[in-house]
Amino acid sequence: MKVFRAHILVCGGTGCRASGSEGVHGAVVKEIAAKGLSDEVAIVETGCNGFCAAGPIMVIYPEGTFYQYVKADDVSEIIEEHIVKGRPVQRLMYREPATEKAIPHMLDIPFFGKQMLIALKNRGLIDAEKIDEYIARDGYIGAAKALTEMSPDEVIDEVKKSGLRGRGGGGFPTGMKWQFARKSQGDIKYILCNADEGDPGAFMDRSVLEADPHAVLEGMIIGGYAIGANKGYIYCRAEYPLAIKRLGIAIDQAKEYGLLGDNILGSGYSLDIEVYQGAGAFVCGEETALMASIEGKRGMPRPRPPFPASQGLWKKPSVLNNVETFANISQIVLKGGSWYSSIGTERSKGTKVFALTGAVNNVGLVEVPMGTPIGDIIFDIGGGIPGGKQYKAAQLGGPSGGCIPSSALNTPTDYEEIIKLGAIMGSGGLIVMDEDTCMVDTARFFMEFCQEESCGKCTPCREGTKRMLEVLHRICHGEGKEGDIELLEELAATIKDSALCGLGQTAPNPVLSTIRYFRDEYEAHIYDKKCPAAVCSSLFKSPCQSACPIEMDVPAYIALVRAGRLEDAYRVMLRTNPFPGVCGRVCPQFCSNKCRRGQLDEPMAIAWLKRYIADNGRKPVIEAVPVTRKEKIAVIGAGPAGLTAAQDLAKRGYKVTVFEELPHAGGMMRYAIPEYRLPRNIIEEEVKDIEALGVEIRTKTRVGKDISYDKISKDYDGIVIACGAHKSWTLDIEGEDLKGVWGATEFLREVNLGKKVKLGSKVAIVGGGNSAIDAARTAIRLGAADVTILYRRERKDMPAWEHEIKAAEHEGVKIEYLVAPVKLVGDKGKLNGVVCQKMKLGEFDRSGRRKPVPIPGSEYTLAIDTMIPAISQSADTSFIPDGSDVKRDKWGGIEKVAKSKNKTLAKGVYIIGDAATGPATVVEAIAMGHEVARDVDASIREWNNEPAYSEPEQDKIDIPFEVNEELLATPKEVMPEMEIAARVANFAEVELGYTRETAYKEACRCLRCDAEL
Amino acid sequence: MAKVNVTIDNIKVSVEEGNTILEAAMLAGIKIPTLCAWPEINHRPGACRVCVVEVDGQRNLVASCVFPVSEGMVVKTTSERVRKARKLNVELLLSNHPTECNVCVRNGNCDLQVVAEAVGLREVRFTYPDYSTAEYIDDSSPSVVRDARKCIKCYRCVTVCDEIQTASVLSPTFRGDGVRIGPAFNLPLLETNCTNCGQCILACPVGALYEKDDTDKVWAALNDPSKHVVVQEAPAIRAALGEDLGMPVGSLVTGKMIEALRRLGFDKVFDTNFTADLTIIEEGNELLQRVKTGGKLPMITSCSPGWIKFCEHFYPDLLDNLSTCKSPQQMMGALIKTYYAEHSGVDAKDIVSVSIMPCTAKKFECQRDEMADSGFRDVDYVLTTRELSRMIKQAGIDFANLPEGDYDNPLGEYTGAGTIFGATGGVMEAALRTVYAVVTGTNLESLDVTPVRGLEGVKEAAVEVGPLGKVKVAVAHGLSNARQLMDKIRDGSADYAFIEVMCCPGGCVSGGGQPIAPSNEKRINRAAALYKDDGAVQKFRQSHENPSVKRIYEVFLKEPLGHKSHELLHTHYYKRGTDLPHAHDAELEVNDAKNKATH
Repeated sequence: MKVFRAHILVCGGTGCRASGSEGVHGAVVKEIAAKGLSDEVAIVETGCNGFCAAGPIMVIYPEGTFYQYVKADDVSEIIEEHIVKGRPVQRLMYREPATEKAIPHMLDIPFFGKQMLIALKNRGLIDAEKIDEYIARDGYIGAAKALTEMSPDEVIDEVKKSGLRGRGGGGFPTGMKWQFARKSQGDIKYILCNADEGDPGAFMDRSVLEADPHAVLEGMIIGGYAIGANKGYIYCRAEYPLAIKRLGIAIDQAKEYGLLGDNILGSGYSLDIEVYQGAGAFVCGEETALMASIEGKRGMPRPRPPFPASQGLWKKPSVLNNVETFANISQIVLKGGSWYSSIGTERSKGTKVFALTGAVNNVGLVEVPMGTPIGDIIFDIGGGIPGGKQYKAAQLGGPSGGCIPSSALNTPTDYEEIIKLGAIMGSGGLIVMDEDTCMVDTARFFMEFCQEESCGKCTPCREGTKRMLEVLHRICHGEGKEGDIELLEELAATIKDSALCGLGQTAPNPVLSTIRYFRDEYEAHIYDKKCPAAVCSSLFKSPCQSACPIEMDVPAYIALVRAGRLEDAYRVMLRTNPFPGVCGRVCPQFCSNKCRRGQLDEPMAIAWLKRYIADNGRKPVIEAVPVTRKEKIAVIGAGPAGLTAAQDLAKRGYKVTVFEELPHAGGMMRYAIPEYRLPRNIIEEEVKDIEALGVEIRTKTRVGKDISYDKISKDYDGIVIACGAHKSWTLDIEGEDLKGVWGATEFLREVNLGKKVKLGSKVAIVGGGNSAIDAARTAIRLGAADVTILYRRERKDMPAWEHEIKAAEHEGVKIEYLVAPVKLVGDKGKLNGVVCQKMKLGEFDRSGRRKPVPIPGSEYTLAIDTMIPAISQSADTSFIPDGSDVKRDKWGGIEKVAKSKNKTLAKGVYIIGDAATGPATVVEAIAMGHEVARDVDASIREWNNEPAYSEPEQDKIDIPFEVNEELLATPKEVMPEMEIAARVANFAEVELGYTRETAYKEACRCLRCDAEL
Repeated sequence: MAKVNVTIDNIKVSVEEGNTILEAAMLAGIKIPTLCAWPEINHRPGACRVCVVEVDGQRNLVASCVFPVSEGMVVKTTSERVRKARKLNVELLLSNHPTECNVCVRNGNCDLQVVAEAVGLREVRFTYPDYSTAEYIDDSSPSVVRDARKCIKCYRCVTVCDEIQTASVLSPTFRGDGVRIGPAFNLPLLETNCTNCGQCILACPVGALYEKDDTDKVWAALNDPSKHVVVQEAPAIRAALGEDLGMPVGSLVTGKMIEALRRLGFDKVFDTNFTADLTIIEEGNELLQRVKTGGKLPMITSCSPGWIKFCEHFYPDLLDNLSTCKSPQQMMGALIKTYYAEHSGVDAKDIVSVSIMPCTAKKFECQRDEMADSGFRDVDYVLTTRELSRMIKQAGIDFANLPEGDYDNPLGEYTGAGTIFGATGGVMEAALRTVYAVVTGTNLESLDVTPVRGLEGVKEAAVEVGPLGKVKVAVAHGLSNARQLMDKIRDGSADYAFIEVMCCPGGCVSGGGQPIAPSNEKRINRAAALYKDDGAVQKFRQSHENPSVKRIYEVFLKEPLGHKSHELLHTHYYKRGTDLPHAHDAELEVNDAKNKATH
């Protein structure tokens, strides 16, 4: 045999071909010949390598160097550098997503390193069109062993011992199936291979057939021998031309080698295998339908019993196994059933192949030992969710399967465990969905698929899936009604229970599982007529507006910026937002997260445009609203929630008094957010407008001290508690009483009160949210020499905004990841160090993030003199006297009336803002303010038997429609920032705002999703 | 077969192994509602899911019509789970079924109505889709109308057409709720191999398949004073009409039928049995001539128009084996507008010739181009038994209490041989009686030729006929059985002299125009009525003994196979082929688009 010094493996799977691997292969052949290296370097076109997302893929041996996204133009460089000069080409290597470090060797890439290959053992390693290459990797040894050394019963025993279960989805023990067929009486028997892979997003079978067709043939030879079949069919969908071609070549070669046909290997056993092309009906994956199709009939299932093992194809005993099942067989025979059963869980043995697709970084084909947690597949092998989006769910088992929510990421890949979740293993399609997926729409999609693929034979599947689809359509179009969820559940139950075949029996699964885990989304569609993921377009004008808690008409004010009509833009903003200047600076931009522009390049800089309007537009003059109602309302707390409520109630004619303990109105905006992010005059200006309406704000008036709660109760007809969450959580570790330990909220409040705060020089902050960053950047500004944030997870898990984290780093803040404080130490009552423990990431928690787990013995001490825990904060509602009608819940919060978001148990008393929800955002607080104003007013009118309030008509503002005809990738306009050196010593605003020119450019990027064309 | 013990709703029954739960439940006295299953023709698709029951140890509900019993099986048929599933499945069927029961041809005789009541359905919570009737109703065929909107996809018609009649015209197309049962490429029935046998109509549990109704045309003729309306009735009508009008199955209602027809306003009531006798004379002589002159054998009967069209499509190479005799209906038609017109002095152009047939294919037959030898349409309108029964009901006639009427002459007189044409084997039996007598000069020892009677698919007999020696004959009913004999002829292994083929299983007693629904029990009872007419009622039992037949030869036809006979009573056949005319691509696309639009 010829010896080569190097092998160049070019992936020739369908995925890589689609991205141009044939051109790469051609270029390699040409280049090697041109360089006269044909005798030294072998070129192999392999089947699917598995890492389809990175295609076209090239692997060069002996080193196993992995090159991705290879283009034909790269080939000469690879040959020249790697093959001729021995210098691997860095720029084409895989890079670790977080560190961007190149990983040269294939097996060091996490995608490959964490897999275990049995069914796919030859993938990307051999030329699928050369039987010799298969044989060289122990091919056909298993068949030879079975046929010459083992009786059929021994083969079946071995397969039974292996614990192998059907990989097509059903999970029926393969050995048992074979035994039934072996025992069935019949002159003719058939061994059949199901390669009618039809799930959307699934390509396991195709890959195996393309990469290693002989493995399937060998499995069929062994199976055929075991049951006594002399004829086999591979039912492969015609949409898989490459698989069919390679199967044909493999069958011919096997016949030529005496491995198929009469008297295989002189054993006396004969088997003929034929490929039967299916026309692409999903139902033909169902065994009886598949057999009908081979018989030339319409592919429709028939009732069982009789089972195929006794009456299958042409009413003869038949065994049908899936491609992947057969691909495991030869190694089970070769290495023994107990070897195979040593892998996996108690009831699910061996490995399982998954087709990993959807919103995941590493799309591809993976094979893992049974029992591997689903989260490991998605986050370790799959590399997590692209674009910094949140994981929402994964659909496992195709359209017949169910979804795996974030709370179930630790579930092992085990047939029974997955069924418990309401999903099925299926054939292994794993479609990952991120936060931008609407689960109702997803259910609708899968239901539509099943409905269209239903053969229409039985009533529940034919009519029932259609009726379910109609209900889902209705819900997605905002026409859902009370009882729809229950109707779906009822239909689903009967369809599952009474449909004829597997297709119908499993068709309702996606609906049931999405209702199970995402019922709130269904309810949002039905009752609130909202699609939280901003997918169901009948339910909103634009995704940004839909995502905004106060539904700001974003496209409108952006259009007005473009048109240069800033005053109108301001008026549009004020319709829903009393604090546009504040939100233009500190809003987390739920809108931007859903911005469709983000799918093209970057989302719109919506908040920055908002700030531009607020900073530059002429503000409409606010006039006082006369008090027209006799009822008086007290608002406790002058934060964004309370002030919004006050504004709305004042507009409705109520006399509103706001009680504020601190010297200035603004609440958490004023006292938690540092000035360098949100200048005080911005808050003051916007507060003034609320006062202008006639709202009275009594600052420096603490309820419970300066005025009693009971007096307010007596004097006012309604009370809105909006006192914020000003009390930091403690770390709950030893040493928190030492001097030098501050709560983040308290620390920031002191600074924002303008007090002289003395910090030490070495400051540690614990936490990963915006408060932690605020505390750190404030500490830097107060002159701390050394500021370190300690965070127990990884950077990608930090809730703080990325641009804030970066700004902190630029200003000199250090961040240590995967550490947690365990003890604070000091001397003479003064803090001088924190004992930290290193963490590693363990199982997934309910949020879908990995839980940090302490590494024992990893403790170390960090010398510090100031510690600021910034892990969370809660409300101080101690001003409400015990014995009041306002009741507390068992966690110390204020108990609310069932299903109400703001009503306490006391009549006319409401609670909103951070005080009600824990730390949230300004825009959410505003939303709660609007809502409570509506509720307070509605209740009062109800008590008085008055008609409901009707909103005064809004001024008409004409919104121009202008979009760029040509769509060029353009990143968002950069926000100019103050130089680092100039900003770290003071609290001047860091971000400088858009100019007229940049704002115009940015506004022109808007795609105007709101347009009704 | 071994017995197994099964518990159904706490009732213990011992049933034969291999029986279905449904059958076992019957034994336990429990009637499980079913819709799609039709055990008599082994049609158990398990499709409608109305008969689902709960079986201990089974994860899902199972269809009792098809799930076999096993030892120790415990079945629940009324659990909440079962009741819910049944009810919802019927509701689902109705959610996609027009709510026009009151005007449906099957009003009051609909299996879907029956199961809806059986499961206690009182509400359909879904909105019925608005289908355009034009697109869904195919009335291209003169015999069978398909209303795809009403189809509940029980697949009975598919099985009947494919397995019993082997015409395979009807099959499922498209997927999901777009599934339609119909001809390939959604062709109009007229353009297909459809034999017009109407067995699909008998199979249909609802109003998705029904005969083309011609009663309005007949009513119009009856009410037109310028028209002389003459009617003939096939032998099988008298054995089945009573059923549809409240009498027991197998009632022989010849006299009441005649009276009813008179009361409806027909000017003359003749009997197809007369031309059945005439057919025997013509066909018997044709057979003898073929035997004597070395003509094409075996000769095959040609009375059944469904069979003729089947032969034209599937066995065009064997058309010469068919007797050239027209069917008795068409012979009668030709004689009415010639012999009778002459005899009565009524101008043939004023005669409207109506026939009452157990058959939908007759509607097609009377419209064949060549069936106008009288110079007019030999037969103007064909009504099925069901249509006649409808007219009788419309006229408010109390059928069961009618007095017995009698035929008009000269075309009303008949023998027992004519009457048994209505049952499978009847033509053969009648022919053997006459041929034997003609050849040997004596009567058969027994006029009951029992080997050709009964419901066995293919029947054979051999009769010693004097100088002709042993004459082998065969009888087939139902086209799958006919196919067996035709294949034998093709491969040269058929050594029969004469073959009778009837298109429908059981012969005309269970023709596509007869009362719904069919069963072997009904076939036997209806045939028994005809054999009773033959054996106990009629004066003569051999066609050649019919005095009116003798007379027509004397005064009109002169001789069997003579010039006049050839002109009026014989015909020829056309090769039709089995290729479907392929719809133009664009048309297919339109259909496809329409189908999608319904999703």
